[in-house]
Amino acid sequence: MDAQIESLLGDAAGEAAAHAPAPREALDREEHLIRDAVLRMGALVEAAIREASRALVAHDAALALDVIKGDAIINEAQRGVSRLIAVTIATQQPVARDLRYLLTLDHVTYELERMGDHASSVAKAVIKLAPEPPLQKYIHLPEMAERGAVLVHGVLRALVDADAVKAREVAVEDDEIDRLYHATFDEVVELMRQDPANVERGTRIIIASHYLERIGDRATNIAEDIVYLVTGDVEDLNP
Amino acid sequence: MNAAQAGSTLDAPVDGHTPPAQASAAAIPTIHVATDRGSDGAPSRPLGQTIVELRGVSCYYGSFRAVKDVSVTAAKHDVTALIGPSGCGKSTLLRTFNRMNDLVPSFRATGEILLDGQDLYSKSVDPVAVRRRVGMVFQKPNPFPKSIYDNVAFGPRVNGFKGNMDELVEHCLRKAALWDEVKDKLKQSGMALSGGQQQRLCIARTIAIEPEVILMDEPCSALDPRSTLQIEELMAELKKDYTIVIVTHNMQQAARASDVTVMMTMDTSDRAGYVVEQAETIQIFTNPKNQLTEDYVSGRFG
Repeated sequence: MDAQIESLLGDAAGEAAAHAPAPREALDREEHLIRDAVLRMGALVEAAIREASRALVAHDAALALDVIKGDAIINEAQRGVSRLIAVTIATQQPVARDLRYLLTLDHVTYELERMGDHASSVAKAVIKLAPEPPLQKYIHLPEMAERGAVLVHGVLRALVDADAVKAREVAVEDDEIDRLYHATFDEVVELMRQDPANVERGTRIIIASHYLERIGDRATNIAEDIVYLVTGDVEDLNP
Repeated sequence: MNAAQAGSTLDAPVDGHTPPAQASAAAIPTIHVATDRGSDGAPSRPLGQTIVELRGVSCYYGSFRAVKDVSVTAAKHDVTALIGPSGCGKSTLLRTFNRMNDLVPSFRATGEILLDGQDLYSKSVDPVAVRRRVGMVFQKPNPFPKSIYDNVAFGPRVNGFKGNMDELVEHCLRKAALWDEVKDKLKQSGMALSGGQQQRLCIARTIAIEPEVILMDEPCSALDPRSTLQIEELMAELKKDYTIVIVTHNMQQAARASDVTVMMTMDTSDRAGYVVEQAETIQIFTNPKNQLTEDYVSGRFG
């Protein structure tokens, strides 16, 4: 027995944890893991939006196909995070802010998953558009996509920082995406009036821009969640 | 909520060379919940080897059968929780693991009770030796009426420890997360500590004899909520070196702190306790197989 203890004491020399453990370390750890998984999901969604846009401008059907395949991974990630949240709630019994935070994260992953679907839908339109010459430099699609990706990034930053001010800013920036969508619609309809040869491409562009507009709306939904989490107030940021 | 720093994920610029979505997807982590298992309950590490096993065990006080036909296992480096309503035999079962029931004259156990494959109740086994390998922490903290130092040193002294006692005492108090709070008052009585501290002292005392298994019989029921949660975090650390079996009537504690849960109840017809279900804790608290288990953990009976 002495020999066992001698070898243990050898390890003790560098032992760090001499403090009494913090009461909710396990819950905090799980919250961080879940939050990190949500952020990774957000990065995938951002990338998907930008890749769909890049594929459009480069007429790259293969890249667009990658976006569509990549959506399966975003979907799986959402299922995984949702499961983790259910397990954490069942085993750690969070209340008050911890509970609201986890419920918020569950909703955020749902919105991110739908955004991933929308990016995938844009990519499907891109596949059809790729073999054709561009219609007026893709109208406003590239700008809408870039703004959408920036909004996703910004709203996740606001979530991490628990920043209601930043969250409200996201809602305001989404207004610009809405404006671009309506402008796209009007311009494309005009192009279709001018020349029936434009109809097919124009329709696909309108469809794609609609999905990009929805991405912005979903970022605003997340922003509303953040405002609620931080302030306890339910605000409609997209009236 | 912490205004936590965003991970590198948010700060990394997404440039024109970002690889397709698949590449970064592999980084979605499997959460390391208390059990170190995947979220659907399937183990993300191989199941630990069994260290304690009960096969067809029944416990009798005289002619009364208090526990009937129990077959459970506790795996090495797991926290295994025994839960169930009052009177279902959880503590009786726990005390068979270290032969504490021997101290009750009318007690008798049948079936096999194995520690590392060795039958603890065979005639050739010394019960005192068993209790060196299987330590116990009780519901009410019960430090010896001695100094903090002597509480920890007592067991090793009895066992003939010849090494550096000061180092051993410090090591055990550190492991029990008590050292910082008592290092300047080791000569003070152990009984002058707060409840949570006393319980940690009892844990340090148990560790000092180098057991393989630590039994805990409702170790937190006499403690305030904060001390309770501290002890639970301590258990998560301790299981790296020991195997822990805990009886608790606090289901939420079992949910937070254990890897595997054994659900017991009492059969009203013969008043004998029996095992309803043993499964990974995540499973028991998200989707148990047995309706009785579901009703109990939901607070609908018991």
